[in-house]
Amino acid sequence: MTQLPSEAGAQSQAGWLGTRLAAEMSALTLEKVRVIGPQNAERNRFRILAGKSVLALRSTPLIEGDTALVIAAGPSLHRRDVARLLKEMSFAGVVITTESALSYCVRHEIVPDLVVTLDSHADRIVRWFGDPNLTRERLDRDNYFSRQDMDPGFAGDELRFNQELLHLVDTYGPKIRIAVASSASEAVVDRVYAAGMEVYWWNPFYDDYERPDSLTRRLYELNGLPCLNAGGNVGSACWVIAHAVLRKKRIGLLGVDFSYYRDTPYERTQYYQELMHLVGRDRLDEVFIRVYNPHLGQEFYTDPAYLWYRDSFLEMVQEAPCETFNCTEGGILFGTGLTFTTLRSFLEREARRPETG
Amino acid sequence: MKEMLKGNYELPTKVTSAHDAPSLEEQFEREALKRLGGSVAFVSKRKFLWEGNDAATE
Repeated sequence: MTQLPSEAGAQSQAGWLGTRLAAEMSALTLEKVRVIGPQNAERNRFRILAGKSVLALRSTPLIEGDTALVIAAGPSLHRRDVARLLKEMSFAGVVITTESALSYCVRHEIVPDLVVTLDSHADRIVRWFGDPNLTRERLDRDNYFSRQDMDPGFAGDELRFNQELLHLVDTYGPKIRIAVASSASEAVVDRVYAAGMEVYWWNPFYDDYERPDSLTRRLYELNGLPCLNAGGNVGSACWVIAHAVLRKKRIGLLGVDFSYYRDTPYERTQYYQELMHLVGRDRLDEVFIRVYNPHLGQEFYTDPAYLWYRDSFLEMVQEAPCETFNCTEGGILFGTGLTFTTLRSFLEREARRPETG
Repeated sequence: MKEMLKGNYELPTKVTSAHDAPSLEEQFEREALKRLGGSVAFVSKRKFLWEGNDAATE
């Protein structure tokens, strides 16, 4: 049975539990990744020691210019004709995508300058690159991709789509640089090397490196990599790399929704199964949080993790001496420190801007 | 439990209250909650890049 968010106001308790859980997300996430992330880093150690740090990107053409555009894989990316506009207006800055948006880009012949990958999950993240070991049995066990309101390409014939994506990523791979977190799984690391991508490594912050028992500090001592505050998710990590590594002064965001459209059934949200397991179907309205976007005059809804990503991003953006333009034209990321605008306005403004070094 | 065991003697075995350790239900709930988490922690600091020295950069 499909379940949509209840009508606004229908339940006075709507979203209360989700808001409380969002406040716990930082601690819960650390519990979730504090073992698997460093384990992956240990396993990746020899490749890291033989490879390049993310700071080596400063010695590439990516350091030129002041502008970057981050493309993440929020649902707005597929509801608007973003690719057509991007190609029509030929953005001259650096294009940075999450691994989850790579498929969208290469299917539309947009070759990103940099891809970023972060999550340590053992076998899901590699799907974004085309998984050479995908089987029908594995699809039957895990419907994570086909179930969600993400890239519609992943919702059809998954095995055929995977084969096409393997071919596309193998074709474009040698032209792509990728910033790989030390927490990345063996499957992802093997895949990006096999596709011929140029790999640049980094450590994500796990905790405050100034604490004497800091896990972040221990990782640094293990592999010597620079450590980045990734903001909880790969989309925010792209923005951090644009700002803190590539020193961009103006950063556009695309597909950074941190939320779902009102017509998306709960079943098609990322954490649906986990939330069902936790509270049951009858209480789902209590964990999903509605947010009205005044720039669009539209209401979206979100879950605890996405609300936490949004709040963390808004905290980070206020500390950064760069301008951030949210061109997503959907979602809940608005507030002090960033400009909510359209992709066309952002691209036109950048096209008019004189070249700077 | 501790209130009931006051005395001037040492018990041969350590007595722990059932309330000290999380119940099985609490453990299951915590495991379920962890699965809601993100890809990595967010650390509330002013700086985004740390290169191993004690002063962060950028």
